[in-house]
Amino acid sequence: MPNATTVSTPMLRTKPKISALRRREVIWGYAFLSPWVVGFFLFSLLPIAMTIFLTFTDYKGTTEFAPGNFNLVGLDNYARLLTDQYALPSMGVTLKFALIGIPLGLIIPLLFALLVNSKHLFGANFFRTFFFLPTVIPVVAGTIIFGGVLNTQTGWINLALKALGLDDPPRWFSDPFWAVPALNLLGIWAVGNAMLILLASLQGVPTELYEAATVDGANPLSKFWNITIPMISPVIFYNLTLGLIGSFQYFVPAMLIGGRNGDPQGSLLFFPLHFYRQAFVFSDMGYASVLALVIFVVTLSATGVMFFFAQRMVYYAGGD
Amino acid sequence: MRKLVVLFALVIVAMLVLTACASPTPQVVPQTVVVQQTVAVPVQQTVVVQQTVVAQQTVVVPQVITATPVPPTKAPTPVPTATIPPPVVTTGDGCATGSTKVSWFIGLGTGSQPDQVTFEKNWVDKYNKSQKDVCLTLNVVFNTGQNSYDALRAMIAGGSSPDIVGPVGKAGRASFQGGWADVAPLAQAAGYDLTKYDPALLDFMKDEGVLVGIPFALFPSTIMYNKKLFDEAKLPYPPHKVGEQYQGKDWTIDTMSQLAMKLTVDAKGNDATNAAFDAKNIKQFGFVQQWPSDYRSMATLFGGALPYDAKDQTKAVMPDNWKAYGKWLYDAIWKYHFYPTADYANSDLLAKGNEFSSGNIAMAYAHSWYTCCFDMAKMNWDIAVVPSYNGKITAKMHGDTFAILKGSKNQAAAFKALSAMVNDADLNAFYGGLPGTVAARPAFFATMNTKVGTNKIDWSVMEAMLAYPDVPNHEAWMPNFAKATDVGTTFLTNMRQNPNLNMDAELQKLLIDLNTVFAAAPK
Repeated sequence: MPNATTVSTPMLRTKPKISALRRREVIWGYAFLSPWVVGFFLFSLLPIAMTIFLTFTDYKGTTEFAPGNFNLVGLDNYARLLTDQYALPSMGVTLKFALIGIPLGLIIPLLFALLVNSKHLFGANFFRTFFFLPTVIPVVAGTIIFGGVLNTQTGWINLALKALGLDDPPRWFSDPFWAVPALNLLGIWAVGNAMLILLASLQGVPTELYEAATVDGANPLSKFWNITIPMISPVIFYNLTLGLIGSFQYFVPAMLIGGRNGDPQGSLLFFPLHFYRQAFVFSDMGYASVLALVIFVVTLSATGVMFFFAQRMVYYAGGD
Repeated sequence: MRKLVVLFALVIVAMLVLTACASPTPQVVPQTVVVQQTVAVPVQQTVVVQQTVVAQQTVVVPQVITATPVPPTKAPTPVPTATIPPPVVTTGDGCATGSTKVSWFIGLGTGSQPDQVTFEKNWVDKYNKSQKDVCLTLNVVFNTGQNSYDALRAMIAGGSSPDIVGPVGKAGRASFQGGWADVAPLAQAAGYDLTKYDPALLDFMKDEGVLVGIPFALFPSTIMYNKKLFDEAKLPYPPHKVGEQYQGKDWTIDTMSQLAMKLTVDAKGNDATNAAFDAKNIKQFGFVQQWPSDYRSMATLFGGALPYDAKDQTKAVMPDNWKAYGKWLYDAIWKYHFYPTADYANSDLLAKGNEFSSGNIAMAYAHSWYTCCFDMAKMNWDIAVVPSYNGKITAKMHGDTFAILKGSKNQAAAFKALSAMVNDADLNAFYGGLPGTVAARPAFFATMNTKVGTNKIDWSVMEAMLAYPDVPNHEAWMPNFAKATDVGTTFLTNMRQNPNLNMDAELQKLLIDLNTVFAAAPK
């Protein structure tokens, strides 16, 4: 029986004391993190928040962004998305580009990487440099060059095709059917970066796996499919993610080639270009902000789906 | 929760995949439109030019409709597709102590080419040293047709708008509708005499009834022609006097078209009138309209008109002459081949869009500001009268000025600098603009003559064409300005890229599209 004079007190949980040294370390840690945090807040988070705010306004870009120069319009801009005759077609153009460009952007650099990694290739360093060089050319310059290369009349590609006997080569950037594939060609020209990353991953595959497979009688194709691909799958997934995000943000080459109307006949009106037109051609910042949010949501969703499937399809040699 | 998020994402992705099957061509909501006018007049016409114009020592006034309330944004003056130089900003080194800083933004019209910037910098330095009140600084953004407009918008939105913008014309100013200061009270306060300008010219400089600038530079259009190509073809040069005939025929669009066909040559030397002419290997073209901004600016070759019903501005109208122009242009490109397709225009053969400068264009319909953009001394060239359509000559006009932004915090000081700019003969000659006052023109032409090498240019043609401006002006207001211009530009590009169009159907579609846009104009 408990003593009447004793009172059982609950055990008090006290926060473990941290030493002064530990506290100093934590403060310094935050201090070194703070530039990034401040930068993220000022240059990413705050603009995103302002963009979301703008979606509820009718702000036009021709006046100073100040109270009194715009009105709150509720969900009008979102409702407009449902009746926008260019929204779906422009998303279709973006997706068409992605569906062609992403596989090519994986297969071709992988083939180049395999070629450069081959011990039978003479002058591998030269080829490595040669394939990487287009990557260092600025996008605008590269696009203008390619505009000339793919010019129907005087472009090298068509001149070569005519020399090979093709009388009526594609009209590339003047034909709605060929315009997007022509931009995909431009994308292929600049796969050097992806090639280098894949090359590094190829060189990281343990050779004993290949030796063991050889002993077991595996042919080169079998080794490639059952050893190489799984071992480099994290890098493939990385390139796939970047390719997907890049496709949804694709803008500069489309604008330079097709102008702000996405010519020919809207076949190059990518969704980011449609957003650009609303924001900077028609100065309709409110609706343009809605389009920007759409790009954000779509990219996020697609990336999320990919990460979900990555768990089943990507092999991480070091575990999760 | 995780499964719900994944499911949501999967649904969105599935919708997107379905969307990928959609046609990339934007769909236009069809509307019933009452066609106000009948089908176009054919190109062939018998015309006798009735009027004669004698150059007088008077101000020749362009008659244009004063701009009425204008909605925002419009396509700017077109420029070539060269690589984009970085912006140029000066900080006013060498200015007098205590002088007021006034920033001058260049980029909405001419003036942003790299070789022009050197001259502008020197002019600014000279101006700053010549007085002590104003410290003028430069901000030049290369005009690709849009990025300089974006840059100015960002500056205005950020509260750091420049003081002076120019040279800028009606179209450029329309992109910043309502953003310009009224210079009339500034002129009065500064004791600047506006009465020396023709009232009609001052009217031309008004936007929505507000005087936004002082007449500075007029840019009439002429036919610039490459004499070397005419000499090679052993053809006489086009007329220099209004009313003058060409090889016994009146100088009409039809005559000019025939001439252009003779001057369009393929790789084997056949001209476009020859049955053996190879349209897939053209090495030289007979005619081009240099750097068109939109359909209106091109169609005014056949006469000025309004694209909307003056009594009901929500209704689009397709004037007969513009229909005729559309069919004429399409045939010129795809049937008679004397006008370059978009592919040819963007090729190395035609200097990637700066066609006349390539030396492979015999005649170019261009404003006088185009003298900025080809080697005037190296090319053997001259200017001729614009051909008439249905008895009427139309030489479209641009009128540039310098304007002060409403957001300028130093409007009085800005006006001081502005008044020096508009009266500077060097600046006038540099931008290739005909001075607003007749008295200043001889000096302008004398300066131009120093730039053309051994060429003897007949500048009287330029003055003569001032009498034939497009009325209404092709840059005048129209409802839902930016979107309407966009529709016109799309139509124009389609014409130059697509060889399989039915022009009657396309013109009807243009009318429907414009109707949709005008009806949706903000009130």
